[in-house]
Amino acid sequence: MAAYGAQAQPIDLATTWPKLEAGVDRIMNRLRDGLSYGTWMDLYTLIYNYCTSSRMNTGLNNEPIGGSSSNRGANLMGADLYINLKAYLKQHLDALKTEADQQMDEDLLTFYTREWKRYTTATMYIHHIFRYLNRHWVKREIDEGHKTIYDVYTLTLVTWRDHFFGGGPGTVQQKVMDAVLKLIERQRNGETIDTSLIYNVVESFVSLGLDENDSTKSTLDVYKRYFEVPFLAKTDAYYKMESEKFISENTITDYMKKAEARLAEEDHRVQMYLHSSTQKGLILTCETVLIKNHTGPIQEEFQNLLDQDKVEDLSRMYGLLCRVPEGLEKLRLIFEVHVRKQGLSAVEKVAGSSAAPVNEEGDEDDEPTPKKKTKKSAAGDVDPKVYVDALLAVHRKFSALVDEAFKGEAGFGASLDKACREFVNRNKVCKEGSSKSPELLAKHCDSLLKKNSKLTEEHEVEDVLNSVMTIFKYVEDKDVFQKFYQKSLAKRLVHGSSASEDMEESMINKLKDACGFEFTNKLSRMFQDVTLSKDINDQFREQMSRTHEKDDLTDFHILVGGTASWPLHASPSGFNIPSELLKTYERFQNFYNHKYSGRKLNWLFHLGKAELKTNYVKLGKSPYTLIVTNYQMGVLLQYNAATTYTWEELLNSTGVAPEQLAGQIGTLVKGKILTVEGGKVGEAGSRYELNMGFKSKKLRIKLDQPVKAEQKAEADDTHKTIEEDRKMLIQAAIVRIMKTRKVMNHQTLMGEVISQLNARFKPKVPDIKKCIDILLEKEYIERMEGQKDMFSYVA
Amino acid sequence: MPVVLQASDNQQFTIEKAVAERSMLLKNMLEDVGEAGEPIPLPNVAGSILKKVIEYCEHHKEDPVPSAEEDKDAFESSRRKADDIDEWDAQFIKVGNEELFEIILAANYLDIKPLLDLGCKTVANMIKGKTPEQIREMFNIENDFTPEEEDQIRRENEWAADA
Repeated sequence: MAAYGAQAQPIDLATTWPKLEAGVDRIMNRLRDGLSYGTWMDLYTLIYNYCTSSRMNTGLNNEPIGGSSSNRGANLMGADLYINLKAYLKQHLDALKTEADQQMDEDLLTFYTREWKRYTTATMYIHHIFRYLNRHWVKREIDEGHKTIYDVYTLTLVTWRDHFFGGGPGTVQQKVMDAVLKLIERQRNGETIDTSLIYNVVESFVSLGLDENDSTKSTLDVYKRYFEVPFLAKTDAYYKMESEKFISENTITDYMKKAEARLAEEDHRVQMYLHSSTQKGLILTCETVLIKNHTGPIQEEFQNLLDQDKVEDLSRMYGLLCRVPEGLEKLRLIFEVHVRKQGLSAVEKVAGSSAAPVNEEGDEDDEPTPKKKTKKSAAGDVDPKVYVDALLAVHRKFSALVDEAFKGEAGFGASLDKACREFVNRNKVCKEGSSKSPELLAKHCDSLLKKNSKLTEEHEVEDVLNSVMTIFKYVEDKDVFQKFYQKSLAKRLVHGSSASEDMEESMINKLKDACGFEFTNKLSRMFQDVTLSKDINDQFREQMSRTHEKDDLTDFHILVGGTASWPLHASPSGFNIPSELLKTYERFQNFYNHKYSGRKLNWLFHLGKAELKTNYVKLGKSPYTLIVTNYQMGVLLQYNAATTYTWEELLNSTGVAPEQLAGQIGTLVKGKILTVEGGKVGEAGSRYELNMGFKSKKLRIKLDQPVKAEQKAEADDTHKTIEEDRKMLIQAAIVRIMKTRKVMNHQTLMGEVISQLNARFKPKVPDIKKCIDILLEKEYIERMEGQKDMFSYVA
Repeated sequence: MPVVLQASDNQQFTIEKAVAERSMLLKNMLEDVGEAGEPIPLPNVAGSILKKVIEYCEHHKEDPVPSAEEDKDAFESSRRKADDIDEWDAQFIKVGNEELFEIILAANYLDIKPLLDLGCKTVANMIKGKTPEQIREMFNIENDFTPEEEDQIRRENEWAADA
């Protein structure tokens, strides 16, 4: 109502300001008494009327601050209100400062935060009431580039900063900060404090960060400079002291717990009452003082924790050291050495223990491995299952540790791999060379995939095969594994002793995934041959039943394999096909040649077996069925004509080489089918008589057991062929490389060859040199004249 | 919550808060003072004009309020196009000169930017294409320039003459 008549009165500063000042003062000091719409509106209208009075008061209006420029439009009123408000605020804050100077510590904080709240609430009212000034006069000043003019709220903050807050020694700012730091220290010491005090101080420091170039924006300058910097310095000093004292009085494991707790606490502190931008700096400071400065002693504890399998502490150590740069390097190295040692000692244990029980024979009944049948054992001759399980146990344990304690971190994974590669390829069992591991691994696979494997469930076998692949990954001489695997697969297929076609296939697929198509090419071919042979057998049988009487036919089954894919060789021994079978032999030969002209069949009689029925002796009414090798069949069929033969007669009639024959007959004698007189088996002049009184509880009697001596020889043989194969592979690699590069020096050629072959085996440098010599001799490559160690490809 | 506005001639208007808040002045004040259960005095606005302003605010209560800074540029550019006036607004502002100026003054006092712009655009459209003499006649303005002054102004503003 006061304002309604205002139009009539002259409007000038002298009438306006006293009324305005009284209103402002009331808002600043007695806002809690409330404010009516009327008062608020009166103050706004007062300013509006003053600012819009220029038209009527041309001539006597005041020049705006900063002088006027010639081309400005209508003059705007308002400078005086702004100047007077500014003076009022300064005076208000000067009084406040005098009060603040009486206070200390927590009291000061209470005072500061309370006054800050009051001040900013009130000045937000004033900002609104002065909106007309802001919209017109202030806006014009700012648009014209007057940096010292702010909108009213910013003005109140700037005035707070410049006339109350200060900054630096002796000012309110510093005293507030000292109090804040003391309070935080008390909290760090475990006391409960009023965190809202700090929260409000932080809020105030942040609000005072005003961008001088653009008053609508804010910066963190004030907070950073006056809060964060001293806070971080204090933090650094506090934890330096604490950590050094703690570490000298406690164990490292306790220290790690302490550090972990402190880090979490500081992280929480940021969320509780600091500005989020401080997080990074604070955590970095803590990490440096709490971890980085003590990296050495912490790392030294690592080995102890490993030795004692303290997963929780290991995990904590990882969690701490992964936060500082290079904190983990050393741990990874220690870890690698540790795993390798564990691996080596695990192997040493099984290498030592397996020798004894095998010699004593007996308590290993349940192990259907070739090892048991070989009976004899040298040091380092280990049961494949025990060996592979030992390797796996170590890998599994540390792989779990990597996942659990080290969060599956790639660096530790790499250390684990490196260590495993070491102990898998170089350990006590592999004394003679890294080829022992793949051999044992392949043998282990064989026993898994054979019938009568203890693992009946398919998924169980699958799991074990997967773990085999884990070890396989580390094997350097993958070609050795391939050879042995191929051999044993051939045997399983020939003898039909494979437990499951699906499992075989799954294993081949795994190998293919690991090493590529080439690696398993031959294995797959062997499978195909088996399938094809089924058809051949069917077709042959069908044709025979059409052309021959049933009585004229012998049960006959054949497996035809491609020479290139199967690791089988004709026996040096001869074999006279018994007359009973000659017809079948010739019929099949004709059938096959007719079907595939141009192919040559090599008969591997030593691998075949036969079933014979005994008409001379029976169990009740049924004849016994003897399952024998072809050679044994050759011997036994002679006895259709007579019941006793001399050694020489049998040699002659079967055509089998003496060493083999002796072994074969030995089994028959042991099986009590034949009895020997006049010397030991295989001695000149010995005689063999059919045991007419043979008795057995079983109807089927297996006599086709492999002869022990042969097995050992076979393994040695395999190793020898591997050596040969490697030479060929090295030479092929050299030629391949030289063909593309044309000219190369010795050193780089070596490097290339090694990297090309690494996936299959680790070529030895002298071997490569030898191969280079061979190729020089064969004139695939030649030395470059006048240039040392340079080779060129001869097209 | 309804808000009661009281014009300079004591006429009272009860309106929704959302309508009142079209005025930045009222919005800020309501924010500061809160509910007071008394009429809000508007000593600078007559009842007849306040009625008109309320009509405008009612119609535009759903409009988005351009936030202070972000939309400033978009807002500024749309404001410069004087012929871009929506149909309702055009009808609304079809009033006599006297009333038009009263509305502009009220919009300025109450801090209703879109209404202030609408009024100013309307005046701008009235001036467009007219000679100074016609404009003086339209708004009843006495020519207080000397012929010399007038000449100088013409020269200074030649660049804008026939745009």
